[in-house]
Amino acid sequence: MNHIAVHAAAKPAPVETAALTLMLGDRVLLDRANLRVERGQVLAVTGGAGSGKTALLGTLAGQLPAGVDMAGDARVDGHLLIAQGGRLAPRRPLALQVAEVVGHHLGLDLRSSLRRMADGLDRMGVPAAARRFDLPPEQLPESLRWACLFAMAVAVGPAVLLADAPAAGLDPTVRLRLLHRLADWARADGVALVLAGRPEDGVAGVADHVLTLRRGRLLPPNPPRTEPLTPLEPPGTARLHGRGVGMSYPLAAGPGGKSRSLTVLHGIDLDLRTGETLALLGETGSAKATLARSLLCLPPPTAGAVVWMGRDLMATAAPPAAGEARGDDPDRGGLRRARRDLQPLFPDPASSFDPAMTLGDQFGLVLESLRPDIPADRRDHRIDEVLEEAGLRPEAALRWPSALSVAEAAHAGLARAILSEPRVLIADEPAASLSAEERETFLDTLMTVRDRRRLSLVLATERYDEGLRDAHRGIVMLAGRVVESADAETLRTAPLHPYSRAMRAASRGERPALEGDAPSAFAQPAGCPLRRRCPLAREFCAQAIPALEEVAPGHHVACHYWDTPAEG
Amino acid sequence: MAEYDQPPLSHPLPPEPPRAGFARGLSGAAVLAALALACAAAPLMADGSAVHRLDADPVAAALLDGRGSLSFALLAAVLGGGLGIGWALLAGLLGTLAGSRAERRTIAAAHRMAGWPLALLVPLAGGLVGPVWLLALVTALTAAPAVAALAHAELSTLMRAEFLTAARAAGLPEGEVLRRHLIPNLTRPLLAAGVLALPRVLAAESFASLLGLGLPPALGSWGASVGLAARLGDPVAFAPPALLLALALWAACAIADGVQAGQRKS
Ligand code: SF4
Repeated sequence: MNHIAVHAAAKPAPVETAALTLMLGDRVLLDRANLRVERGQVLAVTGGAGSGKTALLGTLAGQLPAGVDMAGDARVDGHLLIAQGGRLAPRRPLALQVAEVVGHHLGLDLRSSLRRMADGLDRMGVPAAARRFDLPPEQLPESLRWACLFAMAVAVGPAVLLADAPAAGLDPTVRLRLLHRLADWARADGVALVLAGRPEDGVAGVADHVLTLRRGRLLPPNPPRTEPLTPLEPPGTARLHGRGVGMSYPLAAGPGGKSRSLTVLHGIDLDLRTGETLALLGETGSAKATLARSLLCLPPPTAGAVVWMGRDLMATAAPPAAGEARGDDPDRGGLRRARRDLQPLFPDPASSFDPAMTLGDQFGLVLESLRPDIPADRRDHRIDEVLEEAGLRPEAALRWPSALSVAEAAHAGLARAILSEPRVLIADEPAASLSAEERETFLDTLMTVRDRRRLSLVLATERYDEGLRDAHRGIVMLAGRVVESADAETLRTAPLHPYSRAMRAASRGERPALEGDAPSAFAQPAGCPLRRRCPLAREFCAQAIPALEEVAPGHHVACHYWDTPAEG
Repeated sequence: MAEYDQPPLSHPLPPEPPRAGFARGLSGAAVLAALALACAAAPLMADGSAVHRLDADPVAAALLDGRGSLSFALLAAVLGGGLGIGWALLAGLLGTLAGSRAERRTIAAAHRMAGWPLALLVPLAGGLVGPVWLLALVTALTAAPAVAALAHAELSTLMRAEFLTAARAAGLPEGEVLRRHLIPNLTRPLLAAGVLALPRVLAAESFASLLGLGLPPALGSWGASVGLAARLGDPVAFAPPALLLALALWAACAIADGVQAGQRKS
């Protein structure tokens, strides 16, 4: 039996449940939970996918989800529910929807509703210039939509606000900024705020109390692992080099028929040593995924060079010259050898398998292509081995990709990557589709595999602490440029670039010191790409893009004012 | 190595989504097959009266007409589906050989033409050209743009699929990627797009025949019989072909829908 009495107060708390039990069929979603949230208190309920958070919030809001049975008592005063994903009608002008909701709750007309909404947006820190009420939500950036939803809640001013997966899908720095503002409002106005989200969404950081929904129980959360799984071994010599790796895409010709292009990756230099783990940290638009793919030459970058063991991969990955027979040379220019050594992990493992073939067939194809030295009758044995190493049963080879759960697909992706005995894994958000325990299990498996095989690993992720936890070195990327690179310890304890600091704060649930949203790739500001959000920005930041300079041995920062303390 | 076990309570299986389109498609196929069978067996019922169709039992006459309508629709649909798929494949090929601009132009043309009232061409052609195969070709052409647009959408989704990147990462040369991964995954969506031609050509032909500008009278057609009966003001002769035509159109649409729904789901 859970008993969570957060405060004992004389006044009845706005949210109170007594032995609340939720059943989905014969599955217990929530087992006799006693929950109490006071005015001005922020409670976070975390849990993995399908753990019952949404059902709990729906029940508190008096909307029992279909198929869920309830026992026990739940009493919630004047509440407002922000449902998963926000649920704004995508095509109707925002102003109308806001007026409807605010007007419905407070009985106000359109103008007073909008005025209250404007106050709410002030509290969410949305600048007046960004307020475009006449646009439908689908034309507004995701972050602004969430800010509007929160502002709507502020405008209504309920006694209890329930938010399911608030601001999920936003970049961590943007999400945490909004969540902190929402929590500030709740504390200042005495609103009981209940946030539900996946553990990696950072709702816990802003809350006064955190409970994790695990197997029907509301328990205090397990602190995440902060140390590497096993002590990291010092890396060897550098084998993979990127020199000035850049990527640009052609755009439709501009006025006057001039050909234009959009450069998303600006000349990155990088070395990867044997047994080294390098974290590529960055949010949407940082081009960390593009960099990861460029290193694999899938597709090859448009500028610079990628060199693996002294061989220029871009030359070998180029299509064969006309007239040269394609299939004749099984290892043209050593590309296949390089493919065997460098293997990717995909952000959406489920879609990286051919739906028309069983796992075993696909693995067999990989072996046939990359390891012709393994005789055909040994292939099955090899496939069973890697499946087990990646934490799956050997029978998984017989399954179709569509029959795999997300977690199993991630593990299968890992199994395929180590099938050819590679030396380097290049992983682009490999756990993006996983949450909570599944995520930890997968990352632990990945690290175990890495250590056992002494692999080099490039791990692109938007989660700062999680990425650096098992890494030797980290590179923080912003808008296709490196803004800070240092060893993992330095980045974890004393990052210097304002963006690295914001990412670190966000990953710890603290308030990131950045304002506003990331600009789109098509509207980058002149000068430093961070300058519209940066707390240290000065006039000069608009004039020159800061170059990467060495501030300490092995520690590079690209900021004009990294050594200036923030004002105020 | 520890086995990977799912925590028993962490993933509720989402309720099976109802396969709405599937049942509809299946019943459509059943209805169309029954119609085709009945039409094929009609001469037995009509007792050799095929020549004097108007004197015969109206139901048997309508079934006899169905032979013309259905076989023509089948011919034109195969042609139209083939043309549309070829169009999409050509666009894809141009895309890889001559750059995305050429691909976009080719398929933009299909999109534009899919919006035109191309069905009007069929009575025009019926009035102007003689041979049935030419009429079938024109009818096929009216359905091809829509098929091409859909087939191309499927093609380009597939071309971006992550598993093709995974196959390249496994060092498979492009030819192998095509043979092992692309073609097996392409057949079904392309065929599904091709089926789209069936209701279109059936409707176009019936419309033309209704105006008296469709299939030659010797072949017989539901549209022609409906038109004739309407002009003669004969409700008994009017009802059977009209009902059968409506049924066939519904069945063709249901099949196309069902195939599309199944496609989207997988
Ligand atoms: S260069 Fe200026 S705007 Fe950019 S991070 Fe440094 S202080 Fe901020």
